[in-house]
Amino acid sequence: MKEKIISIIAEYQGKDASEITSDQTFADMGLDSLDIAELVIQIEDALNVSIEVSPELNTIDKLVEYIESK
Amino acid sequence: MLDSPICKILGIKYPVFQGGMAWVANASLASAVSEAGGLGIIAAMNSNGEQLREEIRKCKKLTDKPFGVNIMLMSPFASEVAKVVAEEKIPVVTTGAGNPSVYMKDWTDAGIKVIPVVPSTAIAKMVEKRGAAAVIAEGGESGGHIGEIHTMALVPQVVDAVNIPVIAAGGIADGRGMAAAFMLGACGVQMGTRFLVADECTVHDNFKEKVLNAKDIDTIVTGKRLGHPCRSLKNKFSKEFFSKEYDMTVSNEELEKFGTGALRRAVVEGDIDTGSLLCGEIAGLVKERMSCKDIITSVTDECEKLLRGGAKWVK
Repeated sequence: MKEKIISIIAEYQGKDASEITSDQTFADMGLDSLDIAELVIQIEDALNVSIEVSPELNTIDKLVEYIESK
Repeated sequence: MLDSPICKILGIKYPVFQGGMAWVANASLASAVSEAGGLGIIAAMNSNGEQLREEIRKCKKLTDKPFGVNIMLMSPFASEVAKVVAEEKIPVVTTGAGNPSVYMKDWTDAGIKVIPVVPSTAIAKMVEKRGAAAVIAEGGESGGHIGEIHTMALVPQVVDAVNIPVIAAGGIADGRGMAAAFMLGACGVQMGTRFLVADECTVHDNFKEKVLNAKDIDTIVTGKRLGHPCRSLKNKFSKEFFSKEYDMTVSNEELEKFGTGALRRAVVEGDIDTGSLLCGEIAGLVKERMSCKDIITSVTDECEKLLRGGAKWVK
């Protein structure tokens, strides 16, 4: 799951997956609230999950933990 | 007579929403718009639950027609007012300045029709998935907190992205704007600036005069550095804010502090120098004071006339 999320974010940012760090905040990756909404839609469709966006869900690691706990 | 699905969904006569402008959209304005057949909206802004409840009850005394509440999701009292709208059985909630997903289940379970203001197709899709009854696609021409995409580009893209009704907002103040919104695929409009100078709007007269005298180039966007861009009329306050924004010796905290209380100063005290005169780019078109009823009638009549005359462009 983590790899899939990283690949979606990497593709969105036009980067290589190796350049994405899972404990970096989305803001530090240069993603704003509009980017996050776009990514959430893509991740929800790809993983068939529902994600409630919140300010605490601000890294890939936290997102993975959140999805696994559902 | 205009025909729109949003009228049937909400039980209103005209597909015209009044924007949930902070400090401006109170029971007086919202009830007048609803009485005139549109959808009046009370702004919860930074009110706590009991303050909002009081305003809702005032509005209920003034009209028995449907009205809505706008919840600003950045408010420290957002979760408190989210409960109040359900308790008061408000039929429509619009949301702004954030993602309403966390409250949507409670609201839809309470039978509330949730109509979030959206600045992008992704957010529109997200709220549709969570049960939104419609969305308000608000372009960057509007006043107050704004998104980056403008109405002409945003509305048709949101219309294509979702299967729920879309209300167009931003830069609309007359029948031409409304007719254009229909052509872009919207099924209604939301107007803020036009209602700012309505007779029933209790905003200070100095503020109204500034709007009535504004030209097309008289608005400015500030607050980009803080991540909350805001459109207002150019004045001493907004020009100073703008220059501080590009002064790196001024911290974000100082900048936030500089802006605190400025909207209240303009709306309540009529301070047109150090107050924040939030309004949209369309202010230059707003030249006349009218009642809410006359505003809605003139906008919808003009829109209907233009739509009926559309055939003149086709051979």
